[in-house]
Amino acid sequence: MAAAVELLAAPWNLGLRPPAPGREPGTWRAPQALLSAGAARLLRPARVVQLDRPTYEFDPQPATRIRNGVTIREHTLRLAGAVRETLAAGRFPVVLGGDCSILLGCLLGARQSGRCGLVHLDGHNDFRHPGNHGTGTALGSAAGMDLALATGRGELLLTHWPLVGRPLVADEDVIQIGDREDAAELPFARFTAREIRSTGVADLAERVLDRLKHRGLERSWLHLDLDVLDERVLPAVDSPGRPGLDYAQLAELVAALVRTGRVAGLDVAVYDPELDPDGVHAAAIAACLATALSPLTATETHA
Amino acid sequence: MKTLLATGPGPDHPAEMEQFGRLAGHWATVITHHPADGSPTHRVSGEWEFGYALEGRAVLDVWRWPGPQDLADTGRTADQECGLCVRIWDARLQLWRFTFHGTARGDQLHMYARQIDDEIVMERATAAALVRWTFADTTADSFQWRNERSTDGGASWRLDQEVSARRLR
Repeated sequence: MAAAVELLAAPWNLGLRPPAPGREPGTWRAPQALLSAGAARLLRPARVVQLDRPTYEFDPQPATRIRNGVTIREHTLRLAGAVRETLAAGRFPVVLGGDCSILLGCLLGARQSGRCGLVHLDGHNDFRHPGNHGTGTALGSAAGMDLALATGRGELLLTHWPLVGRPLVADEDVIQIGDREDAAELPFARFTAREIRSTGVADLAERVLDRLKHRGLERSWLHLDLDVLDERVLPAVDSPGRPGLDYAQLAELVAALVRTGRVAGLDVAVYDPELDPDGVHAAAIAACLATALSPLTATETHA
Repeated sequence: MKTLLATGPGPDHPAEMEQFGRLAGHWATVITHHPADGSPTHRVSGEWEFGYALEGRAVLDVWRWPGPQDLADTGRTADQECGLCVRIWDARLQLWRFTFHGTARGDQLHMYARQIDDEIVMERATAAALVRWTFADTTADSFQWRNERSTDGGASWRLDQEVSARRLR
């Protein structure tokens, strides 16, 4: 029997820069917007866990060049605890973010019960770190660093973790999907947005599965940054772009990966309801998730 | 100020308190500077005293140079350091929070620390570099300390300063 879904609402915006002076990014509103748009009705979770909304700080925090770095650490540990608890109950965590910095807590929670790979579905590689972008006077944003931090690059504050140490995931256990930057040189297996356009989703899913098997990865975390969708499909994200997937392709890809039984959990990041004042995209995202996770929810119905 | 110091760790987080608490006592030090400008390495003697504080919830130290053998008869000059370090285990962050308060130049630093393998690594990020202070090779009677900086995100480190410490009591 497939694991029942559990929804974890993580109303975060800590990893993003302010969209305007004195204004917080709106991704913290996404979990509630998605739930209001029917996510719980469609996914039929065994439980909905509501995590606290962290306080966003505009000023630098002590001894870190990462915006909200100290707060991100604290809430990463809390989120990890919630993910760990869901997994321990034999359920499939779906973490509704939030910005991409939620990935750290998701991976940390998953790693605490053993090895876990990462399928990083994102229109950007999020591999910014002081070794490839320098430091500079501006604060860094964790939402553009999540893959670097997860693989152990960057400040101790967000790379060294209880029980797991560093890194959360080895370079060799990462598969990046959807990056629009073709020329980037990254130490991971990757399938760029343009490659996906030529190979198609079904072939991509096969290749990802082959890679997971090759690495002996029985379980991986699936990070879904919704900016992997084409900006003509979903413009209500922090950094929209093209080319990208459409909803049908995204649902097909996630469903194919979930069907392998090698996906331990999923997080959904970076939808910003403040960029969607009429709320037209929340229902489409919820419907896409329901289709994507149907291998879990359909089985559960007949259990 | 009798309430400042404590005779041992408090009941909370005993394993973490022991990480720095095992340094409690008085140490003679040799401090070696490796100037970044290429000028010759130079050494100075010092003293380092560690102890529990705040009902055993913190570990303090007092960092001084020069050591008694090199101190002038008139005492420590204004530009010779006598600084205070405060370390408090933050259970929410699962890290040590650390501050240094220097009296010679008015330095005030924040860092975060964790035990990594058999070392304790303290780190702060500045606009120019990552800076690490590391306690290593700790035994009952000695330890080594190094101050390093990385301008490439931790791929390589430059040694700015090191300390060799020998327990006095």
